[in-house]
Amino acid sequence: MNGSTPDNGISRRGFFQLTFGWLAASFATVATVVATVRFLEPNVVFEPGQRFKAGKPDDYPDGSITFLEAERVFLVRRGNSFRCVSAVCTHLGCTVNRAGRGYHCPCHGSAFNEEGAVESGPAPRALAWFLVTLSKDNRLLIDKGQSVSPEKYLIV
Amino acid sequence: MKNPLPKRIWLWFAQTRVGRSVFRVGLPQSNLERSQAMVSSFLLHVQPAKVSRHALRASYTLGLGLISLYLFLILTVTGVLLMFYYVPSTEQAYDRMKDLQYVVSAGLVVRNMHRWAAHLMVLSVLLHMCRVFYTGAYKQPREFNWVLGVGLFLTTLGLSFTGYLLPWDQLAFWAITVGTSIAGYAPLIGPKVKYLLLGGNVVGQEALTRFYALHVIVLPAIAGLMVAVHLWRVRKDGGLSRPDGPEDSVQSIALGQLPTNKSYGLMELARGTTPQVGLDPDDEVFTWPHLIFRELLLFLLVVAVVLFLAVFWNAPLEEIANVVHPPNPAKAPWYFLGLQELVSYSAFWGGVVVPALLVTALVLLPYMDRRVQGVGRWFARERTVANTIFSVCLAVAIVLTIVGTAFRGPNWSWVVPWRAPPAITEGP
Repeated sequence: MNGSTPDNGISRRGFFQLTFGWLAASFATVATVVATVRFLEPNVVFEPGQRFKAGKPDDYPDGSITFLEAERVFLVRRGNSFRCVSAVCTHLGCTVNRAGRGYHCPCHGSAFNEEGAVESGPAPRALAWFLVTLSKDNRLLIDKGQSVSPEKYLIV
Repeated sequence: MKNPLPKRIWLWFAQTRVGRSVFRVGLPQSNLERSQAMVSSFLLHVQPAKVSRHALRASYTLGLGLISLYLFLILTVTGVLLMFYYVPSTEQAYDRMKDLQYVVSAGLVVRNMHRWAAHLMVLSVLLHMCRVFYTGAYKQPREFNWVLGVGLFLTTLGLSFTGYLLPWDQLAFWAITVGTSIAGYAPLIGPKVKYLLLGGNVVGQEALTRFYALHVIVLPAIAGLMVAVHLWRVRKDGGLSRPDGPEDSVQSIALGQLPTNKSYGLMELARGTTPQVGLDPDDEVFTWPHLIFRELLLFLLVVAVVLFLAVFWNAPLEEIANVVHPPNPAKAPWYFLGLQELVSYSAFWGGVVVPALLVTALVLLPYMDRRVQGVGRWFARERTVANTIFSVCLAVAIVLTIVGTAFRGPNWSWVVPWRAPPAITEGP
């Protein structure tokens, strides 16, 4: 048997050329794809912040549900307790409207009850409730980055 | 008979030194020159010098592929014109649309043409696919060209969808909000795809920039490339499909068996699927003028129809995009309304699973359906089963689209179109 070309027809040099050739080509391809996807994925997004101040607690009368248009949330006050529910439908991101005691999405007809739970329609999840706290200057501080259970209130 | 003046001018120019340097062959007068006119021209040599009579029958192809190509060309020209005025910025885009409508000379017509040609192209590509299916034209050796066709269909939808956002009106904003949310439902990669598409978490400036880049360069480049390969494959796969094509009637000759008493050109050694192999010469006509004339006539017809629509009907432009108030009902473009109707039952099943299954089935179709009978005729009896399955899917899609278009009113509730209440934009 010839030492440099065994029976299977691949020489030592051929084996290394094939192996490293394919390795290099695969690496180059994968690296290019990964780098391109990473490039397209923004590291900084210029979107409105998730935390915002919603004014003084007394701006909202007792028993009111107020739609904060710019933030797409409803602020719910009952007695001294404050809660904040998202107005973004969990189905496909439309803005829900008040309907009766609950909420209704105009895009595909999902209905949510007072607590944000799905009553009918294609929405897969309940509306999100957000953390409400009080800032040092006595303003309501809402963080849309932090979801909480519907039972969590801010008592002022 | 004396030639009319334009023809005389052309004949004189074609035989001048300059004319011959440009056209090489003048206006063809003989069969030899008719062949040369095709072969020696860059723009014409995509087509063979002679074509089968069958390929000219309008009742066979309905000209749908060519109509799609012409619409693509119209869209490219009007699209480039629109680019001279459009600015992809959330601050300016909507005002620019208004400018195009009310300030720019002929701006309204150019935008209308772009919009109607886009709708027509979705329709003609879809019908082209139906034609190819019902005539069994996707079968061997044209399997891969069918796959390219499916790719072109999806690219057409992508072009239409990305263009939809650019006016930055209510229609645009909410259709894209809904559309990209559907993408977010895809398992594993969904949220990432959505984030990449929008360049963030919400439809905003980043999304507009991305959709603009996709719409004016990425997708047109992909479509253009695929169209080129698609057309080239039509030629290389043996011209348009026809009954009893050369692949049925021709025996390939091994090189050693060639008769020695005859000299052969290279064309005799061509592969079995080239258009010229095994064709009865009587079955063929010269591309110039028979095919060229019909193609130019069809082009005129397509331009006329698009212009007619553009002059008499305006492309819709609603109020400027408002993040807070979705229109009620918020509807996607008509060709996605079947999908939206499905999505109203379940976003995951309707928006992801069903479309993915359909596309997979379309791509695999020519490789699963291997029988070669029934090619080149409409609704061939040998293909009853395949045709029935396709027709049922098509009918379901059409019914869903009609329901989504006409039978869905505010809150996506059921309405009857002849008693439909006007769409409302209710406050929260």
